[in-house]
Formats: sequence, structure tokens, C-alpha cells
Amino acid sequence: MLENFHLVYAIVGFFSLGAILGLFSRGKSQHVYLTYIPSIIGSFLAVILSIVVFTSEDIHITLSSQQIFNFEIFIDGVAAFFILIIGLISFAVSIYSLSYSKKFDDKKNNSNLGMLVNLFIISMILVVASNNIFFFLIFWELMSLTSFFLVIYEHDNENNLKSGLTYLVMTHLGTAFIMASFLFMYAQSGSFSFDSFRDAGIIPDYVRDVAFILAFIGFGTKAGMVPLHIWLPQAHPSAPSNISALMSAVMLKIAIYGIVRYLFDFNSIDDSSNYLWWGLGIVVIGSVSALVGILYALVERDIKRILAFSSIENIGIILIGLGLSVVFASFNLTSLSILAFVASMFHTLNHAIFKGLLFMTAGSIHYSTHTKNIEDLGGLIKKMPWTGLMFLIGTIAIIGLPPLNGFISEWLILQSLLSVFQIPSTILQVSLTFASLALALTIGLAAATFVRLFGISFLSKSRTLKAANAIEVPRFMLTGKAILASACIVLGILPFIGINLIVTAFNLSYTPLSPFEPLSIITEDGKSFASLMMPAVLIILLSVFVSIFVFVKIIGGKTSTKKYNTWDCGFGGLSERTQYTATSLVEPLSRVFAVFYKPKNEIINSFYSDQNQYLKKSIEVSYTTRNIFEEFYDLVLSFNLYILNKIRKIQTGKINAYILYIMIALLSLLFAMGTGLIE
Amino acid sequence: MNEFYITELFFGISQVLLLVVLSPLIVGIMRKTKARSQKRVGSPIIQPYFDILKLVKKEEVVSDQSSWIFRCNPWVNFATTVSAAFFIPVSIVYSPFGVMGDILLVIGLFGLGKFFTILSGLDVSSSFGGLGSSREIMFSVLVEPALLITIFVIAIFYGGTNISMIVTSANEISFLASPGVIFALIAFFIILMVETGKLPFDNPSTHLELTMIHEATVLEYSGKSLALIEWSQSIKQIILLTLFVNIFIPWGISDNFSLTEISFGMLFIITKIISLGILITLIETRIAKWRLFRVPDLIAISIASSMMGVIFFFI
Repeated sequence: MLENFHLVYAIVGFFSLGAILGLFSRGKSQHVYLTYIPSIIGSFLAVILSIVVFTSEDIHITLSSQQIFNFEIFIDGVAAFFILIIGLISFAVSIYSLSYSKKFDDKKNNSNLGMLVNLFIISMILVVASNNIFFFLIFWELMSLTSFFLVIYEHDNENNLKSGLTYLVMTHLGTAFIMASFLFMYAQSGSFSFDSFRDAGIIPDYVRDVAFILAFIGFGTKAGMVPLHIWLPQAHPSAPSNISALMSAVMLKIAIYGIVRYLFDFNSIDDSSNYLWWGLGIVVIGSVSALVGILYALVERDIKRILAFSSIENIGIILIGLGLSVVFASFNLTSLSILAFVASMFHTLNHAIFKGLLFMTAGSIHYSTHTKNIEDLGGLIKKMPWTGLMFLIGTIAIIGLPPLNGFISEWLILQSLLSVFQIPSTILQVSLTFASLALALTIGLAAATFVRLFGISFLSKSRTLKAANAIEVPRFMLTGKAILASACIVLGILPFIGINLIVTAFNLSYTPLSPFEPLSIITEDGKSFASLMMPAVLIILLSVFVSIFVFVKIIGGKTSTKKYNTWDCGFGGLSERTQYTATSLVEPLSRVFAVFYKPKNEIINSFYSDQNQYLKKSIEVSYTTRNIFEEFYDLVLSFNLYILNKIRKIQTGKINAYILYIMIALLSLLFAMGTGLIE
Repeated sequence: MNEFYITELFFGISQVLLLVVLSPLIVGIMRKTKARSQKRVGSPIIQPYFDILKLVKKEEVVSDQSSWIFRCNPWVNFATTVSAAFFIPVSIVYSPFGVMGDILLVIGLFGLGKFFTILSGLDVSSSFGGLGSSREIMFSVLVEPALLITIFVIAIFYGGTNISMIVTSANEISFLASPGVIFALIAFFIILMVETGKLPFDNPSTHLELTMIHEATVLEYSGKSLALIEWSQSIKQIILLTLFVNIFIPWGISDNFSLTEISFGMLFIITKIISLGILITLIETRIAKWRLFRVPDLIAISIASSMMGVIFFFI
């Protein structure tokens, strides 16, 4: 008789199978199918598993009864929600990888990619499923290390090694904080199991405060919140695109999972003022992350760096929602807290879907043009029509325009920000309005970023031969993207699916929506504040479209359409060099936000002769912007190196010097013992 | 009850049709006012109708560089703009479709139209299109915070983001009761000028690369497509004017579903829109186009004003 928990074994089994097959199929031609088909099945089973948990009961497995090595798997609704995200995205990405991985067929270690992908996905699932500090950290570390190896998969490029190292350092910094936080909690509760953290009585408030701050820094590093985001724009572009899709869409969400567990499971947020500061801190960090992330996405030229910076922005938006939820809860405004929480989780789900889609599309562009620089692209919509359509869907979704899923979650986040007027504190109301100001600017800048990304890379004339010779990518790559693109559409038009999913997963006291009911926001005193009904909006849009189409056909009759040149000011011949570039398109904006970019415009004229300044030989124009955060980290790094260089002087390499050091150490210890400083 | 609801729906649809039909008239009146104040005779006020009828029947020239984005932009623009009109109360304080979407949805729909317009500016691969798109991007980024914070003020003051609710309470409470809403009015007025492409932000009546913004993105359109673009632009204008009038000066709007009150409401709203249109045109003729990099200052005033509105509401 099969039971629910057998699914967990099956999932672990399939991914392990994929990993083992990957190990043995090195250099073989079928390695792609051998490694990815198990991961497709495993991901599919993960989706099934989460649905099973939603509809029936939580899964609890204990494997051994020893104190420390008590391997416990506990999949409640929260874990199942994140397993659903992992499963859905991994399913699409694995299908996509069936074709994408052929790109690396010439490499000697071609099957390693598939092996690591399998390990990476299963480690993420097990992080979420673990119910014990020890195994949580083991799988967390496995996830970090496999992703590190995946980032440096193309290690023949030196830049990749450098960004891999940054990632490795930052992710371990984060792990250290998480570990410290867990140990703080453990010191009070005396048990490695998460169950002991859930008991409200055992752990005193100040320990909870410290543990939360440590955990927030730790998980925040993994999530890429500003100012700990530095690894993210380096690691994502270095990894192969299917990996960047997994890292950005899924791995960052595991960090969000950690924060959610801490906030709402280990602690029960109520109206003690203690939690207000947590919430405000999260909102502030979220707003800063959103704004800084998108500001630097705007001027980037590397597609994957743009998407990486945009991930920072979206993590910021998710954090704003989470923080607001805590703030509302600390004032006992339960329904608003639920609203903000649903908004935040909906955005988590949506971001996973559209960022996965966009990274896969970026991979497709790289696959057929061999460049990631948008200044070299252009005109791809005619060469790769399906990829173009899916990129457009992803773009509309991530900008947050109706009728796709991004709109719903941004609408919910805006509604929860609007609801701050119900907080009984003037200072908070006014200061949280600044968060809405930041979010509004973020939404605007995100639109600009993605209009630029789509417009420059897919529209107008091809800027280089690489783009002109591009062809549509193979079928499997399109299928993978199509799965996520259709998820964007479905969740946008039928938002009740996503909302009901979150309500059941997190067991919120909120009546699930029926399909034909508007999504409505109700204030604490029971008045209706706002409502939205996406299917009806779609019907209106379509009927307007059909009626105007018929109207124009009837009034105008049959008219002919002629294809002709674009107006070229009568100079003859439109050149790809006269059209706007990615840099010039946002030049006005980079001048408006000059504080962040410090743009520098340089024009170097060289003349045929120094006497005659009219005949110019060449004009060189360069427009550069700077990233002040990366410069800050460079500063920290060079300071560290400077200090370390000074310290190095004591390492003389002479044996008598070391004996002297030992003598000094011994003497000082004896002195300390003698005076009673230590016992 | 059911029958009443169907009557209401029909009424809602006819209101939208009225806005769609009247919108070129407002453009005509504004052009005529402008011409008169510049001591010109100007074209007749129904000229925009003739333009649309003429363009619809003409042959269309499509750039050979362009893709399907360019071709579907006019339709998307028209569909989103007219759909937005469904959620706006016109002569009566609520819209029968009001429960299906709120003011954020209206902004989203306008945003979708603008998104496609900017893309089609880039699609034709001329430097004009890129120029228009670049400036349009800059303005929309800067206007976004002003717009959302203004909505913030209005929503918290009138208790909701549903436009029907906003107008209902605006009709009951005088906005003079709160200085916050006056700040929102200033902010919204500036946004109105930006979004409808008025001086000192944009000058749609010239085809000069120094001044054009919206025109540059749609320079390559002709025939049916151009007609749709122009028409949806004028519908967007009338929607924004209606929104402005009904939120800030709702006097005379009908608050129940009776024939006489609605006809009076209709009369009032048309008069108010026309007067507001004339007022905007008169302001336009008194100022020159601003340098592109001075315009953000004016938008910053709008943002600051709406923030003041929020602070005034809370304190």
C-alpha cells in the first residue's frame, strides 16, 4: 500500500538516480537524457507531493531516534508551498535543459552539469523539508556548494572563477550567520529539532531578537538583499542559463522560506511592540533593495546581469510585503496582515515563474547568438518569433501590467501599502508612505528596464552579424519556456488559483475565493476598499477589441497595406548605427538619477593636424556609469588586503621567531592565570 | 433586480460609447481654442472626426523593418484605453462595471498601451522612434511615483481605490475640508498635463525632433493604424479629464439611477470637461516648451505636492 511519504522517497530516488547516471555517462552522447529525464520525473513528483500535502495532511518522517542525528522530514503547508515552486520551475527548466545542455556537448565533463543539477534540486527540496538544525544546515551547504560548482561550470573563463569565489565567500558568510542564529536558539531550547523552537515559552524575547537579526542577515545574504547582494549580479551571469534560472527563480526563494519560517512559524507575531521593529527593519531593507536593484538593472548591458539586478528588486518587493505583514500583525490588524502576507507570497510564486522564464529566454538568446550583450542584439523577434513572444509575456508579467500575474501581486502589495492608514500611529503612517514612494519609483524603473531589454534585443535592425544570423532554438527549450509562460497567463487571469493556494498552504484565516468572485480588499472596520475581477476585465478587453475591429472594417472598407522603408530623413539607407542603443535609450534617466550612476561623458577628438582644429580624424565618444556598491566592496576588499599585508610581517618563516611567539603566548597565559583573569 | 442590473449595464456601455464618440470633439475644441488665442482661425471643431474618417479609408504604409508588435500596437492601445473607460463613473457617481476594476487597474491598462507604444517606437528602427521612446520612458518613470502617491492621497481620503467609491464620497464630502486633497489636485493636474502630452512637457502639434515625444514614437503610422492611435489618444485625454472633474469637482453629478438626474449629470459633466479643456489650452498658450532636463523639476513638484497631501492627511 503506497502512502504519501513514499512520494518523498521516490523524489529523492529519482534525483539520486539522475545524479548517479550523470556520474557514469561522462562523455557519452545520451548523457542529456540520462540525467534530465529523472529530474523531470522527480520535479513532477515534487509538484504532486505539494498538492497531496495541500489536500490531505502534513508529512512527518523520522528516520533515527538519536539526539543529534535525528533525521526528521516534516512537510507542512509552508514547506509544500515552496516545494511546489521548486518542483514547477525545475520541471520547466529540466525540459529546457534537454536541448540547452547540448551547448556543452564538446566539453569533457559534459554530464557533470546534469549531475550537479540533480543534486542542486534535491538539496533545495530537502532544505525545505528538513525539520532539524543539523540536516537543514547540511542540505543548505550542499545547495550552496553544488550551486557554486554550477556557477564555475564554465571555468575556462577566468571571470567565472572570480565571480564563483565571490559567491562562495558571501554564501558562507550567510551560512555562518544562520548557524549562529540556530545555535542561539539551541542554547535556550536544548534541542536540535525545529519543533522546540516553535514552543513560545522556552525561548526568551531577547534571544529571539538576536536570533532573528542573525537569521535575517544570513538568509538575506542568500536572498540578495542590499547591501549583501554583491555576489548575485556576478554569479547569475557566470552560471549556465538553466542554472541561473534555477538560482534566481528558486534558490533565492529558499532564503525567503527561511525568513518566513523564522517569522511566522518559530515566532508567533502578535501585538507586543517587540515585533514592530522587525517588521519596520524588513520594510526598510526591502524598499532599499527594490530601488537599488532596479536602478542598477536599468543601465546594465549584459542581459543576465539585468535579470540578476531585477531579482534583487523583486526580493525587495517580497520583503516589503513580509515586513508590512509583521507591522500589521504587531498592531493586531489581522486581516491586513494576511493581505500583505498573501501579496508577498503571491509575488514569491510569480517571481519564480517569470524570472525562470526570462532567464531561460536569456539562455536561448545566448544559445543562438553567442552573446549576452544587448548592444550586439536587435531584430531577434523576426529570427526567433516564439522566443520573442515568450520574452514579451515574461516582460509584461515582470513589469506588473494587466492581465498577467505580475499585476495581481503588485496590486496586492500596493493595496497593503495603501492600508497603512489604518495603523494607529502617525509617524508610521507617514514613514511607510515613503516605502510606497520607493515602490512606485521601482515599478516605473522596472518598466523602463524591461522595455529597454525587450526593445533593444528583440526589435529594430540587428546590430551585429551574430544577431542577424540567429535562428529559433530547439523544441524542448521552447516547451520549457511555454510551461512557465502559460503559468503567467493563468495566474494573471484567474488569480483565485494562486490566492487559494496560499491560503490553504499557510492555513490563513481567510475564506477562499470562488472563481466568479471579485478579489476584494476590506478594511478592518468591514468597509470595502477595492476590488478587482480579472476574468471580467479580460472579457471587456476582448470585446472592445472585437468591436473596434469590426467597426473599422465596416467604416473603412477594404484597404490595402504597403510595405515600405522607414523614414530615413531622405538620406537613403537606414543603418543599424543610426538607431538608438541600449545606452542612449536610458541616457536621459541616468542623467536624472546621476547621484547613483555618476555618469561620465567623454568626447575625444583627434585631428589631422594640431593647427587646424576643423578637420577631425576621429571622434571617440564614451558614456560610462558607475556602480557605487561594487566600488564600496572594492574599497572594503583593498582595506582588508592592506591590513593582511601588514599582519603578514609577523610570519617571518624563521623558526626562532616562532619559538619566541610561543614563549610570549605561554608567558601571557601564565600571567593571566596568576592574576586570576582566567581560571 | 436582475432587469435593473441589465439596464445599468446597458447604461454603462452607452456611457463608454459616449466618451468614445465625444473624445475627438474635445480635441477639436481644444485646437480651436488654441488657434483663437493665437489669433488664428483654426480648423472647424469637428475636424478630428473628418481626420479619423479619412484615415480609416486610406492605404496603410507599414515599415519593412517592423514586426507584429508595430502592427498590433494601435489595436492594443485602443482596446486598453476603451476598457479603462468602463471603470470610470461619468454622469452618475458609480460605474456599473466599477466592482470589476479600480484605479490601479486603469493605470495598468494605460501602462500596457504605453508599453506597446514605446516598443513600436523602437520597432521601426529609425532614430526618431528611439528618441521618442527614450523620452517617453523617462517621463513615465518619473510620473509613476507622482501618480501612485496622488492615488494614495485620494484613496485614503475617500476610502478606497474603487473609482465609484471615490466619486461617491467626493460627492458627499467637500474636498475643501482637507488641504491634503488640494495638494493631490495640484499633483494630478501636472500628471494630467504630462499624460495628455501638453506644453510644457510635449508639443504634439509639431513634428520637430527637439519637441516631440509621443509623436515621435508613432511617426511611422499611417491609415487605419494612425486613426486608431489618434483616437485612443483623445479617448485617454477625455478619460483623464473625466476622472479629474469627477474626483475634484463632482458637483452636479447624479447620485441615483433616475433619468432626469442622469441627464442633468450628463449635461454638467460635458460642460465641465469642455471648460477644463479650454482652461488647459489657455494655460498651454501662455507657456513655452521647457528644456527636457528641466521637466523633471516640474514632476518633482508633483511628487512633493502629493507627499504633502499624504502628510496633511495623517497629521
